[in-house]
Amino acid sequence: MKEKMKKRNLLGIWVTLAALICVSGVLMFIFVSYSKSLGQQEISKEYDKYYVMIADDPKASLWQSVYESAFNAGLDQNIYVEMLSDRFSENYTKYQLMEIAIASKVDGIILSADESDEMTQLINSAMKKKIPVVTVFSDNANSARISFVGIGNYNLGKEYGNLISELSEAGNSQYRTIKVSVLVDSNSRDSSQNVLYAAIQEAVEEDSRKHPYSHSPISLSLYSVDATNRFSVEESVRGLLQKKDDLPDVVVCLNEIDTTSVYQAVVDYNEVGKISILGYYDSEAILKGIERNVIYSTISVDTAQLGQFSIDALNEYHEMGNTSQYFTADVSIIKKSNVSAHLKEGATDEE
Amino acid sequence: MKNKFRNLPIQLKMTAITLMANLLVLAVNLVLLIGINGMSSRIDGVYQVNMQLNELSAMLDEVQINMEEYLNTKTSDSLETFYIYEQDFSQLADELSDDISSNTIKRTQRLIKNMSQLYLDKADQTIEAKRGRNVEKYRARYEETTKLYGYIKNMIDTLNNEQFKENSQNYRRVINAFRTFETAANFVMVIVILINALLILRLTASIIRPLKELKGLADEVSKGNFEIEPIKVRAMDEIGVVSTAFNQMVISIQEYIEKMRESAEIEKEHEAKELMMEAHLKDAQLKYLQAQINPHFLFNTLNAGAQLAMLEGADRTYEYVQVMAEFFRYNVKKGDQIVTIGEEIALIDKYIYILNVRFSGDINYVKEVDESLLKVEMPSMILQPIVENCVNHGIREMMGEGVITVKVFTQGGDIACISIEDNGAGMNEETVERLRKGKGTERTSKEFNGIGMDNVMARLKLFENSDDVMSIESEEGKGSRFTIYLDINEDIREE
Repeated sequence: MKEKMKKRNLLGIWVTLAALICVSGVLMFIFVSYSKSLGQQEISKEYDKYYVMIADDPKASLWQSVYESAFNAGLDQNIYVEMLSDRFSENYTKYQLMEIAIASKVDGIILSADESDEMTQLINSAMKKKIPVVTVFSDNANSARISFVGIGNYNLGKEYGNLISELSEAGNSQYRTIKVSVLVDSNSRDSSQNVLYAAIQEAVEEDSRKHPYSHSPISLSLYSVDATNRFSVEESVRGLLQKKDDLPDVVVCLNEIDTTSVYQAVVDYNEVGKISILGYYDSEAILKGIERNVIYSTISVDTAQLGQFSIDALNEYHEMGNTSQYFTADVSIIKKSNVSAHLKEGATDEE
Repeated sequence: MKNKFRNLPIQLKMTAITLMANLLVLAVNLVLLIGINGMSSRIDGVYQVNMQLNELSAMLDEVQINMEEYLNTKTSDSLETFYIYEQDFSQLADELSDDISSNTIKRTQRLIKNMSQLYLDKADQTIEAKRGRNVEKYRARYEETTKLYGYIKNMIDTLNNEQFKENSQNYRRVINAFRTFETAANFVMVIVILINALLILRLTASIIRPLKELKGLADEVSKGNFEIEPIKVRAMDEIGVVSTAFNQMVISIQEYIEKMRESAEIEKEHEAKELMMEAHLKDAQLKYLQAQINPHFLFNTLNAGAQLAMLEGADRTYEYVQVMAEFFRYNVKKGDQIVTIGEEIALIDKYIYILNVRFSGDINYVKEVDESLLKVEMPSMILQPIVENCVNHGIREMMGEGVITVKVFTQGGDIACISIEDNGAGMNEETVERLRKGKGTERTSKEFNGIGMDNVMARLKLFENSDDVMSIESEEGKGSRFTIYLDINEDIREE
C-alpha cells in the first residue's frame, strides 16, 4: 500500500516535471520564433518592369480606382505600377512629375495629359528616351504618345444630349426655353471638350427637330471654369449660381470636381429641384446626390478598363514596337432608377 | 547510464546535480539571451535605413553646395571638393538597390539611383560648361541640375519620413514584444527554477533514502532484532558500501550467534554423555564386584569350608568359618530390609569375633543391652559400619588395648538409644562436624569397600523421618561415642 502510494507520488512528480518542461519549452519556442518573425521584412517580390502613373488629382477616387486596376493588371504580368506622386511629400505638378519620371528612367508612363505645348515637349522627350507614354482620360494629341485611353466623347455627348432632351420634355408644361450650361475648362485646349460639346449640340438640335412641339426649346451655352489652381473651380462654379436672374435649368459637368462643386453650391444656395445637374463620374458623394434627388444623373466610367487598357498599351508597345492609338472605355448612365445598385457596388468596392 | 550515475560517489553525485541544475538555468538563459539579442539588434536595424538615407542626403547637399561654390568662385579648391564629394555620392548611390521591388524602400532607392546618375551627369556638364565659360549653357544646365537636386532631395526626404513613421511603429511593436518577452522569460525562469527544485529534491531524496533505511534497520538491530530483511543496495556509492557492510555485519552476527548456540548444545550433550559414562562405569564396577563376591557363592563355599573343618575336627576353624558365613548371610538376607536391634547386635558380635580372629583378639567387646529393646526396628547394616569406623579410625591407630562398648538403653521410655563407644584415637572437631553433616570420611570410594558413615546417616534419617538420629562425641586421644536414637513402636512397648 505504502509502496503503491510512493510509486504514485513518484509518477506524479515526473509527470509534473515533464509538463513543466513542455510548457516552458513551448513558451520559449513561441517567443523565439515570434521575436524572429517580428523583425522580418514582408517578403518582397521582384518585378520585371516599372511603370508610373501621373494624374491630375491622384487622391480623387476616379484616379485611385484607375490606379488600382492598372496596378492589379500590372501585377499579373510582373509589372509594378506606381502612383509617382505618392513618392513625394511635395505636391509636384504633372510637368515636374513627368521630368522626374524621365530622369528616373522608368519603363513606362501612364499620364493624364493636357494639350499644352510643355506637355507635348515632355512627352516627346520621354519618347525620345524610349520611355513609352500612354495618355489616359485627357489626351495630348500633338505629342508622340503611343496611345490614348479614354472614353468616347462623341457618344458621351450624345448621351448628355439625350438626357437634356428628356429634361426638356419634363419641363414642357411651362412653355419656356430651357437654359443649359455646359461647364468647360477655360484653360484646356483639349479637343475632347469640343467634341463633347458638339455632340451635345447635335443631339439637342436633333431632338428639337424630332419633337418641335412637345419639347421645350433648349438654349445651350458654355460656362468656362477656371481650373488654374486647386480652389478656383469651386469659386467659378459658385459664380455661375450667383446670377440669380439668369440661373441655368440644366448644368452639365464634365469632370468629378465640377460635379461635386455644383452639387454643393446648389444645396448651399437652396436651388435644389430648380436646377438639374448632369454629373460626371460615380464617386460616392455624387451617387448620394442622385439618391437625394439633387443630381439628375451621372456617368460611370469603367475605370478598370482604363487601367487595364493603359497597361495593355504599354506592354504591347514594349513587345511589338507599336500599339493602337485609341482605346475606348465603356460609359454608363446612372439615374435615380439605378443608383442603388451602384451605391451597393461602391460600398462593396470600398470594403 | 542511470546505474553508472548511481554508482558514483555522493560528492560527485551532488556536484553533478548542482551542475545539471545550473546548466539548465544557463541553457534557458542563453536561449533567452539570444532572443533578447535578436530583438535588440532588430531595434538597431529599424533605424539603419534612416541613417543610410540621411548620409546620402548629406552627401547630395555637399555635391550641390560645392557645385554652386565653383560656379560662384571658380576656385580649384571647390572643384576638388566637388569631385571628392561627387565620387562619394556616386559610390553611395551605386550601393542603392536596383530592384523593382514591392518593397517601397528598394523601389524608391532605384528611382533615386537612376535620378542621381542623371544628376551627376548634369552636374558634370554644368561644371564643364562653366570651365568652358559658356555662360548660357551652364546657366541652363545649372537650372536642370538644381531641379533634379530638388526632386532627389524631396524623394529622399519623403522616403525618410515614411520610413521613420513605419519604423516608429515597428519600434513600438518590437518594444512591446520585448516587454512580453521579458515577462515570458521571467515566467520561464520561474518554471525552470521549480523544475530544478523538483529535480534536486528527487535526486537528494534518492541519495538520502538508503541512509534513512539504514538508520531504521540499525535501530532494529540495536533493539536486538537480528531477524531483519537485508537493505536493498541500489547503488555502490558510499551509502551502498556502508549498507553492504551493514548487511554483512548483520549476517555475521547472526552466524556468530548460531555458532555459539550450537557449541553450547554440544557442550551440554558432552556433559550429559560424561555423566552417563560415569554412571555406566559405576554400574559396571558394581556388577563386577557383585559378581566377584556373590554372597550366595561365598556363603555356600564358606559353609562347605565349615563342614570340611568340622570333618577334620578343627573346631575353631569350623566356628570361624561358620561365623563368617553367617556374617555374609546376613548381608545377603537382610541387604536392604528393616531389622531389629537384636539382629544388628548379633551381627556386631560376629563382626568383632571375625576381627578378633583376624587381629588375634586385640579388641575388647563390652555389651550392656536392655533386653526389652532388642525387638525395636531399625534399618539393616547400620551398626556394623559404625563399629567398622570405630575399629578403623579409633582402635587401629592407638597403642594398647582397644575396647568397644555397645549399649542399648531407653531414654524416657519411648526412645531406644544405641551407643557405640571406643577408646581409640578419637577424632578432631573437624571430622566430627563432617560426620555430623553426613559427609563421610575423606577416603576415596576405591579404598573403601563397605558402607560409609554418610550412607548410614542418610538411611537413618530417612527411616526416622527426622534429622536428629545420631549424636557423635569424640575427643582426640580419648575415643569416640556414636549414639543412635530410635523411636520405639507402640506394640513393642506394650510387650
